[in-house]
Amino acid sequence: MKIIMKFGGTSLNSADKVRNVSRIVKDHSQNNQITIVASALSGVTNLLEKLSKQSKHNSKKIIANELEKFTKLHTNISKDSIKDQKIKEEVLENILSIINELKSVLEGVYAIGEITPRSRDKILSFGERLTVTIITGALKDIGISAEPFTGAKVGIVTDDKYGEANPLMNITKMRISETLQPLLSKGIIPVVTGFMAATQTGDITTLGRGGSDFTATILGAALSVDEVWICTDVNGMMTTDPKIISDARTISQLSYSEALEMTVFGAKALHPRAIEPARENKIPVRIKNTLDLTGPDTLVSNDQSVIKGEIAKSVALIKDVAMVNIGGAGMVGKPGIAAKVFETFAKEEINILMISQSVSEANISLVIHKHNLENAVNTLELSLLSRGFANRINAEDDVCVIAIVGAGMKGSQGVAARVFKAVADKRINVRMIAQGSSELNISIVVKEKSCEKAVMAIHKEFDMGKS
Amino acid sequence: MRLILIGYGVVAQSLTKILTVRKQEILKRHKMHPRVVAIVDRGGSALNPKGLDLEKVEATKKKYGSVAAIPEYGSPDKTAQDIIENLDAEVVIEATPTNLNSGEPGMSHIEEALKSGKNVVTVNKGPLALALPALSEMATYNDVHLRFGGTVGGGTPILDFGKKCLSFDKLIAIEGILNGSTNYMLTEMEQHGTTFEEALSEAQDKGYAEADPSLDVDGLDAAAKLVIMANWFTDKEVTLKDISIKGIRDIKPENLKEASERGFAIKLIGRIDEELKVGPGELRKSDPLCIGGTLNAVKFQSEFAGDEIIIGKGAGGPETASAILRDLLDIREKM
Repeated sequence: MKIIMKFGGTSLNSADKVRNVSRIVKDHSQNNQITIVASALSGVTNLLEKLSKQSKHNSKKIIANELEKFTKLHTNISKDSIKDQKIKEEVLENILSIINELKSVLEGVYAIGEITPRSRDKILSFGERLTVTIITGALKDIGISAEPFTGAKVGIVTDDKYGEANPLMNITKMRISETLQPLLSKGIIPVVTGFMAATQTGDITTLGRGGSDFTATILGAALSVDEVWICTDVNGMMTTDPKIISDARTISQLSYSEALEMTVFGAKALHPRAIEPARENKIPVRIKNTLDLTGPDTLVSNDQSVIKGEIAKSVALIKDVAMVNIGGAGMVGKPGIAAKVFETFAKEEINILMISQSVSEANISLVIHKHNLENAVNTLELSLLSRGFANRINAEDDVCVIAIVGAGMKGSQGVAARVFKAVADKRINVRMIAQGSSELNISIVVKEKSCEKAVMAIHKEFDMGKS
Repeated sequence: MRLILIGYGVVAQSLTKILTVRKQEILKRHKMHPRVVAIVDRGGSALNPKGLDLEKVEATKKKYGSVAAIPEYGSPDKTAQDIIENLDAEVVIEATPTNLNSGEPGMSHIEEALKSGKNVVTVNKGPLALALPALSEMATYNDVHLRFGGTVGGGTPILDFGKKCLSFDKLIAIEGILNGSTNYMLTEMEQHGTTFEEALSEAQDKGYAEADPSLDVDGLDAAAKLVIMANWFTDKEVTLKDISIKGIRDIKPENLKEASERGFAIKLIGRIDEELKVGPGELRKSDPLCIGGTLNAVKFQSEFAGDEIIIGKGAGGPETASAILRDLLDIREKM
């Protein structure tokens, strides 16, 4: 089989874990052509983000201090995970030269006193460059031939939307198969930095948070692999958060659309943008636990096969949200109020998670992220109240959203009724409801104090737990 | 409109000739004033941001073998890459020889032109056969046009014609004789009973086939054209490796004779339907697609309009140059 294996930061942040990863790769390399995609060590991208933000204020000394910690983190892991002296020295030397390069970039930003999106992307890309150096060394240490690559060098070409660049897929596919296919045929394992790419003129770009998953599926599409493995710290996608319900179970199979719904609702195991290249090229994606590789996992594929009786597959709880209600008799029969609201929010870059409006038009309810609440209420008051479009705007910040996802809900009657009955039996009041016409999900809003009880009731109602 | 001309062989020389002879007409009828600001050939380049004197260019090329010999404007060491990247111009015309292994040097020329925001007209099939989906994407991203009317059928506007046939109609299949030299050979073999080898050396003598005939007789040239048509007419994003290709080396005069007696001719046929295929196949002699000699012919089968066929000369300097002019006009209108 041809496989992409992507390892997240939490799978790499100690020498033991690096050794574990190289063993996994070795075990699978006998019968498979493997390409590795690696994220930065956990916390490293955040640290780089901090450094990039501060470096315009920081003195050379602070940069040097931070970089020393940074160097230690990476050299320690290398020292303990690589036994062969020669390989170890080579890796340490490479790490130092990469960090030196980072240092001169940071000092450059400091000297100019300005950080541009372009220089920010360059800084953020260093974390992954260090991990691929370490992994390549660890693989060579156990006799596997491997070669490190940056996403730029491997041929991922993007537009110039720094910070969240989009790949030019046709060019990218062509370049990647040119660079990697010959290596794979020779039995060499490419180790590629996740998250980073370059524009057509070679300037470094990044693919946004969770971009390493994106890198993995882009490579998967380009090399027409059999499977992309996202190796992370959980056993695939779960029916719900196991911290809420111990009964939560790994979902063995999801369609791309179901997975997309779930990732949007906070399933962190896979990044939503990563699904598109996989879906487009029909590449199955498997989400596995690095520390429990043979344990339960989730396969995301084209197969819309709905197991009989399995109507809803997962129930997610989304906290840190707030509900805004806009009301007033003045809104009835007046077109353009909703447009006004959207326009206001778009201008302030506030994301709307859920919307609902009654037929009477006297009320519009919206759910947004809690950190946007004050800003949202304020701008709505300015644009709606003052002009008489609405006469009351109030907010509830003690609510949360519960999202039920499953392709089996499509066309089956009474799903909503079962959701409401399950919650009502627990004497929980539903504040707001939304269902898209795709029927892939139903979302409800309840008070925060009863949210976990509601999740449990729904989880039980649809038999999502372990049988 | 400023043009950079990369490659100065038969086609490009025909182009400068037409531009010289028809200068007034092009300006009057088409409101276009094409100025060639640079020409690159094997020997170097000639460059004048105000526009080169094309009559002088032609004369120099004839006398010294390279445009680099033009006094004042000629230069033996300026590279194509350099000129494409740094010289201001609206269109780069890529007319270097076809290479179906790496696409080079045309591939780099086209990429550089698109990246630096210049429109491209190419008569070189190599880069398109190997990377048309990627090059189209690059053109779209950089908001410029990539045109290649001369790569299929020489001066016969097969791509334009087909586009018209298929607008608002559903494509069922495209079938065609896309390579003139092999069609000439098969015609000879059928009519005179000559062997493959004899037919080949005759085609080479007449200048219909290259010294290295494999592009033609192994079906690669036809396959390259099929790639271009598949990307142009359908939503398939394909390259040469997606085509199943068989040449005509195994065809014997006996095969042709036997088919002929049944009323059929064996032709090298390229076909696009669910699959993409180039290989020898039989055509009923009464089929209008069944043409002889060096001609090219393509049949478009669509749901409502039925079969539509275009026939014309598939190669030639002035013919292909006329396709470049059509492409230039097309780009001018879209600018």
